[in-house]
Amino acid sequence: MEVLKQIIENINYIGALALFVIGLYTVVTHSNLIKRIIGINIMGTGVFYFFVSIGNVVGGNPPIVDLDNGNLIYINPLPSGLILTGIVVVVSITVYSLSLVVRIYETYGTIDQDEIAKIIDQETFDD
Amino acid sequence: MKNRDYFRRSIESYNFQSIVLVSMLVAMLGFFFAYIINGFGFKTWLDSSVNLATIFFFIYRQRWLPLLIIGLPVVGGIGQFVIGRNICSVRDTWVIVTTFLTILFILFLYPLAIVEGFYFEVPYLLGFGLTFSIDMVGFIMLLITSILWFLVMLYSHEYMKHERHCNRFLFFMAMTYSAVLGTIMSGDLLTMFLFFEMMTFASYVLVTHGQKDESYSAGYNYIFMGLIGGFAILAAMILLFVHVGDVRFQSAIAVLSTLGSVRYWIIGLLIFGFGIKAGMAPVHVWLPRAHPVAPTPASALLSGIMIKVGAFGMIRVATSYFFPETFVIGTIWETMETIGFVVIWLGIITMAVGVFLALQQSHIKRMLAYHSVSQMGYIVLGIGVALYLGYKGAMGYTGAMYHIINHALFKSLLFMVAGVIYLRTRENDMYKLGGLWRKLPITAVICLIAALGISGIPLFNGFISKSILHHGIVEAYEYGHRSFYYAEWVFNVISAGTVCSFIKLFSYTFLGKLPEQYKDMKSQFMSLHIPMFVIAGLIILIGVFPRFILDGFIVPALCCTTYDPNFIQTYVVGLAFFTSEDLLSMLFVVVLGYAIFYAGKRWHLFHLHLPHWLRLEYMIFYPINRLMRLACRFMYGGQCRINPLMMSRIDLDAKNDVGFLERFTLTASVFNRRYENLIIKSDALIYTLILTGILGYLLLRI
Amino acid sequence: MIEQLPILNLVLLLTTALMIPFTQKISFKTTKLVGFTVLLTVLVSTLFILLHVQSEGAFYYHLGGYPSTIGIEFYVSILSAFFTLFVIALGTLIYVYSTRDIEHDVYAQDYGRYYTLLFILLFSMLGIVYTNDLFNTYVFMEILSITTCSIISIKRSKKNYTAAFRYLMLNEVGSLSYLFGVALIYMVTGYLNIDLAAESIQQVWHLYPANIVIALGFMIIGVSIKAAIFPFHIWLPDAHSTAPSASSALLSSIVVKVYIIIMIKVLLRLIGIDILEALNIPVFLTIIAASGMLIGSIFALGQKDLKRMLGYSSIAQIGYIVLGISLMSSLGLTAALFHIVSHGMMKAALFLSAGAFIFLRNQRAINGFNGLGYQMPISMAVFSIAGLGMIGIPGTSGFISKFNLGVAILDANQWFLLVILIMSGVLNAMYYLPIMINAFLKDNPEKNRVMQFEKLPKVMLVPIVVLGLMIVLVGLFPNSIMSYIEAAVAMLLA
Repeated sequence: MEVLKQIIENINYIGALALFVIGLYTVVTHSNLIKRIIGINIMGTGVFYFFVSIGNVVGGNPPIVDLDNGNLIYINPLPSGLILTGIVVVVSITVYSLSLVVRIYETYGTIDQDEIAKIIDQETFDD
Repeated sequence: MKNRDYFRRSIESYNFQSIVLVSMLVAMLGFFFAYIINGFGFKTWLDSSVNLATIFFFIYRQRWLPLLIIGLPVVGGIGQFVIGRNICSVRDTWVIVTTFLTILFILFLYPLAIVEGFYFEVPYLLGFGLTFSIDMVGFIMLLITSILWFLVMLYSHEYMKHERHCNRFLFFMAMTYSAVLGTIMSGDLLTMFLFFEMMTFASYVLVTHGQKDESYSAGYNYIFMGLIGGFAILAAMILLFVHVGDVRFQSAIAVLSTLGSVRYWIIGLLIFGFGIKAGMAPVHVWLPRAHPVAPTPASALLSGIMIKVGAFGMIRVATSYFFPETFVIGTIWETMETIGFVVIWLGIITMAVGVFLALQQSHIKRMLAYHSVSQMGYIVLGIGVALYLGYKGAMGYTGAMYHIINHALFKSLLFMVAGVIYLRTRENDMYKLGGLWRKLPITAVICLIAALGISGIPLFNGFISKSILHHGIVEAYEYGHRSFYYAEWVFNVISAGTVCSFIKLFSYTFLGKLPEQYKDMKSQFMSLHIPMFVIAGLIILIGVFPRFILDGFIVPALCCTTYDPNFIQTYVVGLAFFTSEDLLSMLFVVVLGYAIFYAGKRWHLFHLHLPHWLRLEYMIFYPINRLMRLACRFMYGGQCRINPLMMSRIDLDAKNDVGFLERFTLTASVFNRRYENLIIKSDALIYTLILTGILGYLLLRI
Repeated sequence: MIEQLPILNLVLLLTTALMIPFTQKISFKTTKLVGFTVLLTVLVSTLFILLHVQSEGAFYYHLGGYPSTIGIEFYVSILSAFFTLFVIALGTLIYVYSTRDIEHDVYAQDYGRYYTLLFILLFSMLGIVYTNDLFNTYVFMEILSITTCSIISIKRSKKNYTAAFRYLMLNEVGSLSYLFGVALIYMVTGYLNIDLAAESIQQVWHLYPANIVIALGFMIIGVSIKAAIFPFHIWLPDAHSTAPSASSALLSSIVVKVYIIIMIKVLLRLIGIDILEALNIPVFLTIIAASGMLIGSIFALGQKDLKRMLGYSSIAQIGYIVLGISLMSSLGLTAALFHIVSHGMMKAALFLSAGAFIFLRNQRAINGFNGLGYQMPISMAVFSIAGLGMIGIPGTSGFISKFNLGVAILDANQWFLLVILIMSGVLNAMYYLPIMINAFLKDNPEKNRVMQFEKLPKVMLVPIVVLGLMIVLVGLFPNSIMSYIEAAVAMLLA
């Protein structure tokens, strides 16, 4: 029971970690470039989720000034603010890498990493 | 037309120029030696003559004199680039005059060297500041270096007319000169290391000057071994710096004796590093390749001076760091004893290897190079005795220093002779020559003098130092370990081998039947004979008056060390030359040498070669080659890109060092491509694995 | 007033980056001039900052006046002041070089974009060095990695796309790991400010060791990827060899070093030596560094392309730096920081002169250098000086760093590392020396071997020569920069 309670209390963190691992697994196992980008995004989401969870206070209010309600426990707004920046960064990275994938598809005719590696290997061998 | 005329006349006047310069040198040296021994009351006169004394006093009081001496060749080297591409003889005159001036300034160092330990510091350079110091040992080296360099530069004018890229050659010659002078004058290991590395790189260009495949291969060998030696010295320097805190050449034995095995590492690395440059076995491999391929003036200096710098380095570091501050008797010498024991045997192995291989050579310059190895063995032996006997080692020290001087003289002279022979006949193989004494009588006489010198015949200089070294090894046997009894025997046999080898050289080149194609060669006096005369004269002078160098230079040098003063007084100062014992043993050596020569000629022993699997290169590189091949097989299966046929060829060929490098590169690239292809696919996998590994490890640790 | 200079530098660089599209509308020449003036201004102001810090001591700058518990803080210590100067000085030289070299590598319509990227790159590096905030470091890091990728892929060739993509993927994984580490640190300490977090870590270390340990693991690995420390170096050779020469110089000599500065900050200022030693992190770093030193050099031997070889050589040299850090002593850190500077100069000189060979002769293959020393004497001479520096020949800055590193190693009593150091030096010689020898001592059968005057444009030649001189000067008078480095190390270990 104790263990179960622990898990439920920390479900946010565990979920975040799971997301991170799932993302990493995607990056490691898939040779499709777009899937790898998706994997990176999942990893990113995991980290952001983790970060936001830190700021959570059980029973806390959103950090908006609300004088009517007497409850003065707010959740920590700083992580959320930071993660907004983080999301912007990851979005821009995603966009940039997708554009690179487009270029790679134009030049190599494939977005499969193994096939690209084969083509490159052939080229270097011809040198 | 006019230009050409001018050119011819200036060439003709060159003989005159060199005669003038050489007589100036002789006069200068005469005055100098007269000053040293106060001959004809010269010193008294000079000291009483106020004006001259003031001028001399002014010059030698300048603390920057070492910098001037180091800088002068550089100025000469850069100046000759400016002076010119076309005006060959003006350029050569310029170079020769700068080397001449260097001798002049070096002579001014004498009062400083003899009176005090002279220190000059250039602060901040390289972080610690460079220090220069001159003492008597350094002065001996400086004097012999500068005189030989000047004479070789005189020689090279005529010789280098037949080579290309003269400017480059002279420039790097000057850089090497400056580096050698710097190495000798340095007052701490850092400065020495700086100039030592400079010397390696500058002389590399001299080695590969010929730009043939052979010279590149020899050059790679040379530079990599030089670099490895440099790194060994660097490691020793770092060890010293960390444990002693100072790399100046001063006694550090008090600290070093407390260090346990580290002190042996330090001296071992230093001896290894300097030993590579000195051509000590088993790291002599580069020497017999590099010296023959260089142009003759360069090989004369490489063999005459540069390898001595290695020996000098050994003497310097051993007698400074590992000797006590003042003369004491006690356990403090124990470190030296162990090291000296090893060094003596290294010297004997070097002598044996050198002579044995020299006997098989037909290429004159290569044979001389192998003799350099063997003669360096004598010097290393002397150094070994100097260390082994502790405070009683003065005899070995004297022998080593004396042999450094003598070997520099006769070996450079022999190389010059080889150069003249090559110049006139375009042939380096002594079996294809013969009867040249009729065509080249002057050269034949000079060659004979040099050969008598190196063989150690009485009245020539080699005899002196060899008998001192012989005394040294006998003392090592008497005061030390029994095994040196055999060392003495080996010593004698090797001396006989040297005699035999030079009988062979002289008889095959100058005696016998003249080959057909040289019939119409004419005897001709060239300016390059002048410096050869001077060296031959010096060889005989030293041979006849051996006391002069001993009393004037080596005994003052010994007095700077911390050997037993009584021992020096009784044995070294009171040393008698030409005793019947020495003469008899020399007679024995000569007879044995002739016997070996006769036997060798009779039964064609000179054409015997070692089985190739006994060669050092083979023993080192063959296993590595095999290993690399295996690695390649492992990586690529049947498609191994290293050609097995190429390997079998290289096993037998002499030049396998470049091959080794290439093959190493090839294996590396094969390995690398395999690895890259594998790893690029799994970049994230590596990340995951290492991350989990580290996290697991760290979590286990807390 | 001087306190405002760091932020002014950042703003200036950023505005220049934004202005360049407009100046490009006028002419390329205007862009060059504007960029050069801005860089000179920033150079002078970083110099002022350094002098100020040296005389008055380190200072803090709070962005927007928020307190350091929640706001972003700049900490201008002697370390950051010195390294911003280093970054900007090398950056300026490379910038001057790139103004001509760009014609060879980049399409004309991309000139403006290239310089926009370059200035954002410099901006983010300055930010990383100044900032005292973990999350802010992450943001700058991401800006840096995205601009780096763009500056690689701007050449628009097949190889560049794959290289940039590989770089981006791996770096993104690295950044996210770093961010994860930051999150864990924030979880236990509640601060993102390095000083405050460090204090707090010392207090909570016994309560939540697992958090801190995991954070440390993630952060070290994350930064290692970005700094191309040995097993994570996979992206570097491709990225550095395909980029335009000026960018390669920038990447190898500065960008990678900035990540090492982050590593130093995280290890020494955030976590502290005590915890690191309790966890045996130094041993781990030592192993990584030593294997990197050897394997980087061995791989460099196998290369056929000059710039790829230089890339692998960088990996080995980064090993030297990490080795210095891993000793965790003041001598080791001094050696590491000195090697950052000295390797920065040497690698920049090597890449710029390699760029010159490509610019004039289109010569990339290592075996095609015969006789090149006669056609391009000056750049080949600088290449040789830098190569000798890599080997560690006295008279170059490389010798000083090698000597210091050796002293630090023996001071820590790890003699086997000295053996590795020397082996690595010999391996360096094995791939740098043949190039020099072929260039200066072998004849090219096709070309006449008369010494020619260098035909390289002046703007490219001047930075190369300046770098060559700097290598020799720093090699001869290392004390000139050693005093700053020693002060920085004293600050780090205080």
